[in-house]
Amino acid sequence: MSVATDILHTNVQTGKETIKMSGQKVCVHYGEKQALFDVDLDIVANQVISLIGPSGCGKSTFLRCLNRMNDTIDICNVSGEITLDGQDIYDKAIDVVELRARVGMVFQKPNPFPKSIYENVAYGPRIHGMTRSKDELDELVTSSLRRAGLWQEVKDRLDQPGTSLSGGQQQRLCIARAIATKPEVLLMDEPCSALDPIATAIIEELIDELRENFTIVIVTHSMQQAARVSQKTAFFHLGKLIEEGPTEQIFTNPHHKKTQDYITGRIG
Amino acid sequence: MQIWLTLLAVIVAVGGLYYAGRSRAFAVTNGDATILHSNPAFHGGMVVISGMLPAVFVLLGWTIFSRYFADASVSALLGEEFNALSELEQGAFLRSAFGLSQSQQIGDVSSLQNKAIEGYSAFFASTTLILQLVLAALIVGGGYLAWRQIRTDLRARQFVERAVSFALIAASGVAILTTLGIVLSLIFESINFFQKVPFFEFLFGTHWSPQSAFEGVGSDTAHRNSEVFGAIPIFAGTLLITTIAILVAAPVGLMSAIYLSDYATPNVRAIAKPMLEILAGIPTVVYGFFAALTVAPFLRNSGESIGLSVSSESALAAGLVMGIMIIPFVSSLSDDVINSVPQSLRDGSAGLGATKSETIRRVILPAALPGIVSALMLAISRAIGETMIVVMAAGLSANLTANPLEAVTTVTVQIVTLLVGDQEFDSAKTLAAFALGLVLFCVTLMLNIVALRVIQKYREQYD
Amino acid sequence: MANASNEHIVSSYEDELTALTRAISEMGGMVEVAITNATQALIRVDHDLAKQTAKADKAVDDMQRYIDEKAVSMIARRQPMAGDLRHIVSAIHVANDLERIGDIAKNLARRVKHIDSQRVSKQLYNGIRHMSDLALAQIKRSLDSFTLRDANIALDVCRRDDEVDALYISLFREFLTYMMEDPRNITDCTHLLFCAKNLERAGDHATNIAEAAYYLKTGENLYYDIESGKVQLN
Repeated sequence: MSVATDILHTNVQTGKETIKMSGQKVCVHYGEKQALFDVDLDIVANQVISLIGPSGCGKSTFLRCLNRMNDTIDICNVSGEITLDGQDIYDKAIDVVELRARVGMVFQKPNPFPKSIYENVAYGPRIHGMTRSKDELDELVTSSLRRAGLWQEVKDRLDQPGTSLSGGQQQRLCIARAIATKPEVLLMDEPCSALDPIATAIIEELIDELRENFTIVIVTHSMQQAARVSQKTAFFHLGKLIEEGPTEQIFTNPHHKKTQDYITGRIG
Repeated sequence: MQIWLTLLAVIVAVGGLYYAGRSRAFAVTNGDATILHSNPAFHGGMVVISGMLPAVFVLLGWTIFSRYFADASVSALLGEEFNALSELEQGAFLRSAFGLSQSQQIGDVSSLQNKAIEGYSAFFASTTLILQLVLAALIVGGGYLAWRQIRTDLRARQFVERAVSFALIAASGVAILTTLGIVLSLIFESINFFQKVPFFEFLFGTHWSPQSAFEGVGSDTAHRNSEVFGAIPIFAGTLLITTIAILVAAPVGLMSAIYLSDYATPNVRAIAKPMLEILAGIPTVVYGFFAALTVAPFLRNSGESIGLSVSSESALAAGLVMGIMIIPFVSSLSDDVINSVPQSLRDGSAGLGATKSETIRRVILPAALPGIVSALMLAISRAIGETMIVVMAAGLSANLTANPLEAVTTVTVQIVTLLVGDQEFDSAKTLAAFALGLVLFCVTLMLNIVALRVIQKYREQYD
Repeated sequence: MANASNEHIVSSYEDELTALTRAISEMGGMVEVAITNATQALIRVDHDLAKQTAKADKAVDDMQRYIDEKAVSMIARRQPMAGDLRHIVSAIHVANDLERIGDIAKNLARRVKHIDSQRVSKQLYNGIRHMSDLALAQIKRSLDSFTLRDANIALDVCRRDDEVDALYISLFREFLTYMMEDPRNITDCTHLLFCAKNLERAGDHATNIAEAAYYLKTGENLYYDIESGKVQLN
C-alpha cells in the first residue's frame, strides 16, 4: 500500500528535478485577439511533458513560443518571460537561430525536404557548421538516424529522396533531422496525427528512448498518447493553462472539473 | 433582316421542341413527376437534340456540296459553247459566274455568262425553298419521333449526356485538328521548299540572303538558291538574342519572385505583383521603339565612350529589351510556384535554425525548381517567337556572329520579311518562310518537351 | 455547453456507465436479500429458505461476471479516463466484494442444517441477528455511498466498522462461555461462531465497498488519507 503510493507520489516532489525551460506569465496576442493568458509552466529536464486541450486552446501557440517560431508571424506578440536554463529566450541578446538549434521542432505533418535522406539529416549540421569533415558529418548522420530508429531501414538508400519513405518513416526522418543539430529540448507538434497506429507506436517508443538525452514537449490531441508517453501533462483550455501535473494524476484524478470533463469526453 | 428572321425561326423551333418534350414528360406521369426516370428537362433536351441535330447536319452537308450540284446543273444548261472550253477555263468561268450571281450588281457580261448567272440564280432560288422545307420537315419529324418515345422509364438523361459528351469531344477536336492542320501545311510547304533547296544546305548553310535569289524558279536555279538559303546565321541570331534576353530575365525575374513571395509584406506584394504583370501587357511594338530609340543609342554612346564600336542596331539592345519584356513571365510564374511550396517546409527549415535566406537557397528553390524551369521555358518560347523588338532594334541583316554588339536577325523577323510584299506563292523565297516556321516549331516543341520532362521528374519531390 | 458538461458527448458511453451503476445497485439488492434470508433461515431453522438462499447465490455470481465483462469491454472500447476510469475500476471492486458477501450468505444458509436449534439458547440467536442487522446496515450504507458518490457516507461506514468488530468480540466471548459451560454445545456454538465471523467479514467487505466509493469520489486512497491525517475517522 505505502509502496504503491510512494511510487505514485515521487514525481510530485520536484526537489530532484531540474527545470529546463520555464514560462512565466506568458501572454500571446494575435493582433487584437489574445491567444494565451498568463501561462506559468515549468518544463523539467529529461521528461516528456504533453500539452493537451481542445483545438484552438493555445497549446500549439505555447509550443511555438518555446523556440520563437511565432516570430515569423508579424501580428503575433509574446509577452511574459520564457527561460531556457534560466536565460530569457526573448532577450535581445539571444540569437534566434542559435535558440532553434538548441530547441528543435518536429511538426504535425512529416515535412522532409525535397532532398535525399542523407541531405535531410545533414541539413541542420551543415547550416550550423557543426562538423569539420565529411567523415564527421557521415558519423553524425548515421548516429542521428540510429537514434531515430531509422538506420536499419534506410542505410542502403541514403541517396534516395526523403519523400520516398512511408509516412511513419518520414516522421522519424524529421526526428532524426531535428536531433542531428543536437538540441537540448525537442518540441513535437502532434507528431503522430498523420500516422497509422503501428507507426505511432514506433514513434512513441522512440520518444520514450529520446527522453534520456532530451527534454521533450509534445502537443497531442490523443489523450491516450499523452497518457502513454509523458511524465507530466498540462491541460489548456481557451488560452489558459487549467491544470498541470503528473500524467498519472491528470488521467486518474484531475483536480479541475474542466480537465475531468475534457479528458472524459464531456466538453469538446 | 433575313438573318434575324432565321434566328427567330431557330429560337422558336428549339423552344417549341423543348416545351413539347417537357410537357409530354409531365403528361405521361399523370402528375407525379418523381416516377420519371429522367428529369423532364432532359426529355425536353432530348427532343431538341433529335429535332435539331439532323437538320444541322443536312444544312452543313448542303453548304459543302450544293456548289457541285449547281455547277452540274448550270453546265448542263450552257451546252456546246461551254463544252468547247478547256477544263481549267470551265472552272474559272463557273467561279466568276457564281461570284457574279451572288453579288447583285451585274455589269457588262457576255450572253453565255449571263445565261450561267441566271442558271445559278434559278438553281438557288428553287433549291432554297426545298431546303427550307426539308429542314422544317427534319426538325418536326425528328422531334416527333423522339416525342413519341417519351415514357416514364425513358433514359432521356443518358441520351442528353451522351450528346453533351460528343459535343465536348468535338470541341477538343477543333483545337487538335487546327494544330494538326497548321503542322501539316507547314510540312507540305516545307517539302515543296526542300525540292528547290536541299535540306542539309538549308539547315547548315552559313549564308542567308534570300533577296538575291530572285533570278527564277525551278530546278535550274536550285544550286544557286541553295547558296543563299543557309539558315545558320538567323538561328544563331535567334540564339544570341534569346540568350541575352534570358540572361537578363532569369536573374531579375527570379529575384523579384523571391522578394515578392518571401520578403515583401502583403501590402507591397499586392501592389508590386500587378505592376510587374503590367509589363506583360505592354504591346511589343512599344518595346520595339523603346529598344530602337532609347536603348540602342544609349548603348552605342556608352560603348563608344569606352572605345567599343557598337552598331546602331545591336543584338544587345534587342536582347536587353526582350529580357525586360519577359521578366513578368519569369517572375509571376516563379512567384506562384515559390508560393506553392508548402509552408511546412519553411517551418521545418526554420525549426532547425536556418535563416530565411538559407531556407530559400537550400529548400525553397530546389523544391520549386520544376516550376521555375517551366516558367523559364515559357519565357524562352516567348522570346524566340518575338519579332517586333528585333525588327526595330536588331536589324534585318543576317550576320553570323557571336558579338552581341553587332546587328543580327532572327527567324521570325526573316519570316516576316520573306512574306512581306508581292511574291509568287510558290517561289523559293516564300516557301523558305514555311521551312523556317517548321524548324522554329520543332525547336519550341523540343523546349516544351524538355520542360515537361523536368517538371515530371521533380514533381513528386514534395507534396 | 453548460448543460453538456455533465453528460458524455458519446451518449452510448453515458448509457453504459449508467447501466453499470444500475447493475451494481441491483446486485447490492440481491446480496442484501440473500443475507436477510440466510439470517432468517438460521434463526427460524428454515431449511427450505436456507436451500433457496444457497441456490440464489448463483444469480449473484452471474451478476458479478456480467459486471466484469461490461467493465472490461468498456475499458477496451472507450479508453476511460479520470472519473470514468475510477467509476469502472471501482465497479469491478464493488462487484467483487458483493460477490464475496453473496458467498457469505450462502455459507450461512448451508450451516442451517448442521445446527440443532433445540439446544442453543435464543439469546445467542439474538446476538447473531443483531450482528446481521449491523452488517446489512453497513452494506446498505456503503452501496449508498457508491451510488451517490458520497465520501462522507463512505467515511461513516469505515467509522462504524469498529462497532461490528466490537459486537463480534463480545459474541465470541459469549459463545466461548457457552462452550465452556456445556461441551455438548461446542458443535453448534462453533457453527454459530463461524456465522458471526462470516457476518463480521461481510462488514469488512462493506468497508471495502466504502473505500472504493471514496476512491471513486476523490481519486484518493482512503487509508492513505487516514494515515497522512488528511481525513479524520473519529
